[in-house]
Amino acid sequence: MPATAFAHEAAAAKPAAAPQAPARLELRNLRKSLGATAAVNGIDLKVAPGESVVLLGPSGCGKTTTLRMVAGFLQPDGGEVHLDGVLSSSATFALPPEKRRLGMVFQTYAIWPHKTVADNVAYGLEVAGRRRAEIRAEVAAVLDLVQLGALANRFPAELSGGQQQRVALARALATKPSLLLLDEPLSNLDASLREEMRFELRALQKNLGITTLYVTHDQDEALVLADRIVVMNKGRIEQIGTPEEVYRTPATRFVGSFIGIANLLEGEIATVDRAGERVLVALDIGGRVWSRAPRSWLDGAVTGGRATVLLRPQDIELEAAEHPGAEQPIAAAFLSESFLGEHYELKLAAGEALLRVQSRRRGTFADGRAQLWARPGSAWVVA
Amino acid sequence: MSEISFPGTAVTDRRAAHGASADARLLRRISALQPVRLLVIGLSIAILLALIAYPLALLTGYSLIDAQGHLTFETFEKAFARRGMWQATVNSGWLVFFVTAGACALGIPLAWLVARTDAPGKSLVTLAAGISFVIPTFISVISWIFLAAPNSGYLNRLATGYLGFSSAPLNIMSFTGLVFIEIVGVYPLVFFAVNAALNNIDASHEQAARILGANRWRTTLTITLPMVRPAILSAVILVMLDALSSFGAPAAIGTMANFSVITTKIYDLLKFPPQFNYAAAVAMPILIFTAISLLIQKYAVRAENFRTLTGKATPEQIVKLGHWRWLAGGFCIVVALITAVLPVGALLLLSVLSSFGAPISLANLVGKHYALIFDENFAARASILHSMLLALAAATVCATLGLVLGWVVERFRFFGRELIGFLVMIAYGFPSIAYAVGILMGYVNLFYGTLTLILIAYAGKLLPIAFVLVRNGIQQLSTDLEEAARISGAGWLRSIKDVTFPLVRGSVGIAWVLVFSLSLRELSMSAILAQSDTQVMPTVVLQFIEDGAVELAAALAVIIVGVSLSMLAFIRLVTARKTATIS
Ligand SMILES: Nc1ncnc2c1ncn2[C@@H]1O[C@H](COP(=O)(O)OP(=O)(O)O)[C@@H](O)[C@H]1O
Ligand SMILES: [Mg+2]
Repeated sequence: MPATAFAHEAAAAKPAAAPQAPARLELRNLRKSLGATAAVNGIDLKVAPGESVVLLGPSGCGKTTTLRMVAGFLQPDGGEVHLDGVLSSSATFALPPEKRRLGMVFQTYAIWPHKTVADNVAYGLEVAGRRRAEIRAEVAAVLDLVQLGALANRFPAELSGGQQQRVALARALATKPSLLLLDEPLSNLDASLREEMRFELRALQKNLGITTLYVTHDQDEALVLADRIVVMNKGRIEQIGTPEEVYRTPATRFVGSFIGIANLLEGEIATVDRAGERVLVALDIGGRVWSRAPRSWLDGAVTGGRATVLLRPQDIELEAAEHPGAEQPIAAAFLSESFLGEHYELKLAAGEALLRVQSRRRGTFADGRAQLWARPGSAWVVA
Repeated sequence: MSEISFPGTAVTDRRAAHGASADARLLRRISALQPVRLLVIGLSIAILLALIAYPLALLTGYSLIDAQGHLTFETFEKAFARRGMWQATVNSGWLVFFVTAGACALGIPLAWLVARTDAPGKSLVTLAAGISFVIPTFISVISWIFLAAPNSGYLNRLATGYLGFSSAPLNIMSFTGLVFIEIVGVYPLVFFAVNAALNNIDASHEQAARILGANRWRTTLTITLPMVRPAILSAVILVMLDALSSFGAPAAIGTMANFSVITTKIYDLLKFPPQFNYAAAVAMPILIFTAISLLIQKYAVRAENFRTLTGKATPEQIVKLGHWRWLAGGFCIVVALITAVLPVGALLLLSVLSSFGAPISLANLVGKHYALIFDENFAARASILHSMLLALAAATVCATLGLVLGWVVERFRFFGRELIGFLVMIAYGFPSIAYAVGILMGYVNLFYGTLTLILIAYAGKLLPIAFVLVRNGIQQLSTDLEEAARISGAGWLRSIKDVTFPLVRGSVGIAWVLVFSLSLRELSMSAILAQSDTQVMPTVVLQFIEDGAVELAAALAVIIVGVSLSMLAFIRLVTARKTATIS
């Protein structure tokens, strides 16, 4: 299989396996203003060798700016960029991009229209002064890797969007960079191809063991591709964590509502169970829910204090199952129902609040009303 | 397939460098400064300042500062109190007015006919406009002397001899004649600008209006015209500046019809003994007018959004003229005849006619004028060589500078970036004759009587054309393309060589050819800067006209036009092939 023939140095070097190595990339309190906006406003991040980190956030939150500072195209106003433990950018110093040994896949692909596919891919190796035969072999290997072997002599104008995207990837991989940067590489593809490429990219990243910093505003992409997700908002980091962590235990309301669909319900703390790391919340819209909570928050939690509970649509149940005695259901009125193939999407009103619920089966409602229960262990308090 | 494993050497090297010596750290610091880039950019900016900022500063200085170094307006007063100066200024004003009005009246309807109707003879008009654009006015003057000189002009002889006119109906040696020649020379600017804008209006804009119930005429008036208004305005400004700074035709006709405009007055002031400060003062009104026009251009025209005009006209937008199409076709043919066929034919004929005034018969066709021009002992031959050398050098200098400066302005963020574009555009709007005065004052001591002096003037004045063309080319290149090269390990110079240059080669080539052609026909600056040893083709042509040797003038002019036209045809050929391969 070609993937093994084109192995990266860090293939086996998962974070734990290389305790001594410096972080492949380290950002220290990185800041950059563009015009009047603080596009990046104090970012700290470490990326270990072999790791895949995804910067996720809404459009305009500073992802591209961060990536371009890492690449050396933008100089930070403050803070530092370290690559392999070596200072590469600060407010007073900037190593030129070509000296950083990076690979980059641009959102626009940036395939050179005057060079063939093979010449595009070979370029980095030529610049590095490698021998012709060597270059030819490596280009063939990396083109096989992205399944473009047959198109080596085509010009970019003769390729589809998806194929151009693969060329961009091949070109970035050919020099075996110490860090691969990708800026929304899939955003110009159509939906089904995008979906397919996500998994392919992830497989490639894992097989090669290549360290990647990936920028996207698409949460599904982030969940598939990341070892760790960095959720950004307005130039700052909201949370860093594994896909499961940011999805199940978001640190802020923003993270909770940006990743997946969130029902955020306000309420008052009725009981604090520190040993069980959970609280019982009496919701303002009625109902009582046992909800897990972050430990730091729990330390300050007192009965009668306020809490915001996150309930995912698929964690709300319409049928009364066995529930601990302290819990009480939310009474809600049926508004609408849509069939989405795998599930039904219901909208219900509980007091002022709109609740979104996903259900495998069609709901049955007496007089258009229902009793809603949180699936045990699913509710989460966001700070 | 060979087994490719990843050598970690480079990484370890770098880690070693990190821990190790101060030398390596110093090297890193130096490479971070990117010295090659700084050097190339710095040098280009220095040349730009020397070419444009320095002469302009001198020009302003001379007009405002007296011999004792004090600020004064006296120079203006004295300069404009000179005999005939006020009349010359008024003449220039009328010239600008009539030429602008005439160019619009001719150019706009023609553009619409060609872009949007089914009038026959459309391609003829485009060709004619191209030809009359290529022929400078000091050359078309020769043709029109041949055709419409008061008594001996062949059209006049036709009119009195065969059509029953009692006196000669045409007189090119008059202010009206000058206006006519200038209109024919500049209307292509309006025509091409409006035609291009009309072609770029996406059909959907007009279709949207039609869907909403507007008929064709209403759509034309309320949608189409407003959308081409920026193009018309820019063209009008160009035409005004062109008319104001025109020198060739006013010099040739003015001498014979005995009137002056500002530019010819400046030329007179620089004849021996040269009066630099008066010349500079007289150039000031042109300068100020130019500056105001450019500001209007920048704020009024740019405010209207050009970017919407990126579509492609479709056959549905063509207006069917019905019976009118024959009238329209007739108009097209007359325009082509008067602006291109007659002048070119007259020029060719005159260049082989035994003498001006001789009956047109086979016996009177001779090659002796060409023979004389190429005669070793005659000044014209040297001028051909000079012109060719200057054109080659100017084209090369401008294309190179245009590439570097275009890149700097488009890609490099630093304080003063806007200033580069601004300086270059000033040189563009700057009237040639005033610019030449500045060059003369700035470099006369260093380069008096050399071709270098003329080269400096050509390069400075024509740089804007190269700059704008190449800059547009670079603008259309996504920054990503160059950044991809940098990330792949290429340094700045290498990324320019491997990515930027190949992708803008078309623009650079066109810029080179245009500057070459324009250098060949440059008269106003050459007239001031050329000495007896450094005559160029246009100055020799003008001398011939003033001496009454119009047959020789015609022969030399044919060479200028011939070379220019073949260069332009060459561009068309190359660009046509290039677009075929790229798209
Ligand atoms: N050249 C610029 N001048 C001024 N503001 C800019 C410029 N480029 C980006 N910005 C602003 O900086 C912020 C971050 O931009 P960016 O990093 O491109 O966001 P993202 O990639 O996350 O969508 C945005 O608010 C954007 O409007
Ligand atoms: Mg972005």
